[in-house]
Amino acid sequence: MDLSRYAALFVTESREQLGVCGQALLEWERRPTATEPVVTLFRAVHTFKGMAAAMGYANLTELAHRTETVLDLLRSDPSSGREIADLFFRIIDALEQGAGVAVDGGDPRLDFSPLLAELDEASVATAPTGSWAIPAPGGMPAVVAPEVAASRLIQVVVTPGATMRGARAMLALRKVEALGAVSAVRPPLATIEQEGFDGRFSFQLAGTASADQVMAAVRGAGDILDVTIDAAEAERVAEAAGRGRQIRIDLRRLDALMGHVGELIVARARLMELAEVSTEPELRAVASRIARVTADLHGEVVQARMTPVWQVFDRFPRVVRDLARQLGKRVRFEVEGEETQLDRAILDDIGEPLIHLLRNAVDHGIELPAERARQGKPEEGQVRLSAASDRTTVLIRVSDNGRGVDRKRVLAEAIQVGLLPAEAQDVPDELLLRVLGRPGFTTAAQLTDVSGRGMGMDAVISRLRGLGGSVEIDTQVGVGTTFTLRLPMTLAIVRALLARVGDERYAIPLAGVAETVAFHSDRIAALEGREAYVLRERLIPTVRLRDRLGVTGPRPPGRQPAVIVQIGERRVAVVVDALVGQQEIVVEPFDAPLGTLPVFSGATILGDGTPALIVDPAALV
Amino acid sequence: MSHTVLVCDDAIFMRTMISDILAQAGFEIVGEAETGREAVEKYRQLKPDLVTMDIVMPDMGGIEAVREICKADPDAKVLMCSAMGQQALVVEAIQAGAKDFVVKPFQPSRVLEAVQRVIG
Repeated sequence: MDLSRYAALFVTESREQLGVCGQALLEWERRPTATEPVVTLFRAVHTFKGMAAAMGYANLTELAHRTETVLDLLRSDPSSGREIADLFFRIIDALEQGAGVAVDGGDPRLDFSPLLAELDEASVATAPTGSWAIPAPGGMPAVVAPEVAASRLIQVVVTPGATMRGARAMLALRKVEALGAVSAVRPPLATIEQEGFDGRFSFQLAGTASADQVMAAVRGAGDILDVTIDAAEAERVAEAAGRGRQIRIDLRRLDALMGHVGELIVARARLMELAEVSTEPELRAVASRIARVTADLHGEVVQARMTPVWQVFDRFPRVVRDLARQLGKRVRFEVEGEETQLDRAILDDIGEPLIHLLRNAVDHGIELPAERARQGKPEEGQVRLSAASDRTTVLIRVSDNGRGVDRKRVLAEAIQVGLLPAEAQDVPDELLLRVLGRPGFTTAAQLTDVSGRGMGMDAVISRLRGLGGSVEIDTQVGVGTTFTLRLPMTLAIVRALLARVGDERYAIPLAGVAETVAFHSDRIAALEGREAYVLRERLIPTVRLRDRLGVTGPRPPGRQPAVIVQIGERRVAVVVDALVGQQEIVVEPFDAPLGTLPVFSGATILGDGTPALIVDPAALV
Repeated sequence: MSHTVLVCDDAIFMRTMISDILAQAGFEIVGEAETGREAVEKYRQLKPDLVTMDIVMPDMGGIEAVREICKADPDAKVLMCSAMGQQALVVEAIQAGAKDFVVKPFQPSRVLEAVQRVIG
């Protein structure tokens, strides 16, 4: 049998199983006496072994088998394995790397002897006090089924309100395994087992079983509300599975689609302008119909690009754990809102910034256990990562209950480098962030080898700006730090306010606009040496876009409008020459030439075909 | 001919209740077991059409018993009887070869539905 065509499937599935291993190891560390994590670990390693054996990878199989043997011994007394948890982590890494090597034909070259030796020692140290039978044959999803014909996507809904929906789902999966190989179970098996899903799950089924047989098998599990079998979808999933772990739809196709929709939206804007002045009632009707359909189409395409954040968050527990261990800290990591959806393109880009913030939290935020104890805090620190969305914005928070940023230190350094006047008493939160974000700015505490050399936060901020997002910091000494990332749910198309300055029009994304007001020159005041504007008895710093952009030439007569830009708590009044209107704009990737003012986040083509720059609200406040 | 059943539970109350539900539906209760070990032995002797199996029992738990029974007879039809909150164990039992499960407290109709699915 030609096994090469199963290689991609093997890589995908084995990675999934090893991911389960990683989660189980973390859980085991947290609850060293609990049996379930060891059971889960055993099961996943066992499954991996079965797949590796089916692929004929002898060395991988051997390592998995020996690991399984030691886990078997540990099952009766999980806490005795505490000392070797680290070994298991290294083994999981080795298996993952090995799997990649093996599919390229490199299994014979894999040498796991150092790990095997350590395993031998471990198994001697672990007294065989109990036995643990290997699960009955056929109990695990087999990755290789000789009768593989086409794969179908099966979507199942467990009856809402049924007890133990996860167990019900597992039962259904087990029943269909009799019909063919099951793969790509979503949400992941570990999530289903822990009842961490809403009753909906899907999987791919290979083999030639009829739709009726599949239906009967799934429904045979009981409490099944609905089953759908989708062959076309499954083909797409299978195709995508070969390229990337969790990309279900070819992103390039979606990008192209989004590009067309963007053009359509631009054309729609122009069409609406023409219809506006037309006396042809039919033209106006058709234009408004096209406008509606375009909006629907846009909505659909945006939806299709949405991806749950767990696809990126999944690797973070490991990052946090490894770093905490390396630094001798105790950290509990909590994740919330993993199902929150975000544009795939944005999601791909926030992984690195988030890792930076998480590392920052563990390294600079959480104190050493002894220090925490001295302060009367629990020795185990907490780092939380949460995601939530409203209609158009996704908020991602990274918070820790550690020491907070030392304002005095930042203040001293900020004064030293001239960022703050010498008489400054405190660093305001908002300035703190910008201070931390300045290129090359660093405090001594930041200069460890772990978190980079002062460029980190700046990289985070500029990456987020590039995505049309922003980052805020909230920190209190002794209590902790929270970073809040604000991101547009989708990149490509945003609604913007068009403002004129000089001869140019500029687009200001509405997400950053609080309101627009007329700018009365008799309400100008001063705030900390800056020009400010009195709005409803509050002072708001002003930004004269003309000056900021270096626009010369005559200003139009009459009163100027001001756009109140708001990011989080911070507001500024942006004075422009005139407001032109609102429009949906297509954000074009923006490679700012060196020396460009750090005010723009992108460029766009307006409805009449002229280009305009997109102002970054976060750069103004 | 009516189907034969082996009822395994360490609580006599539960055994009685399950036996009553099944007997009223026309099943023949051919044996009862109080421990996992006893369940395995009685299964070997009686070869019942169906086994109801409690999860937590002294002297070999239900999961291990399922594993033993299914090792000897892969076609064994075992219905797990679980309490709320034992989903991890139920999943393990399913991996071990259990064919279905019901959750205490039992509703007779739910038990019979599950039995029908298992007996098919």
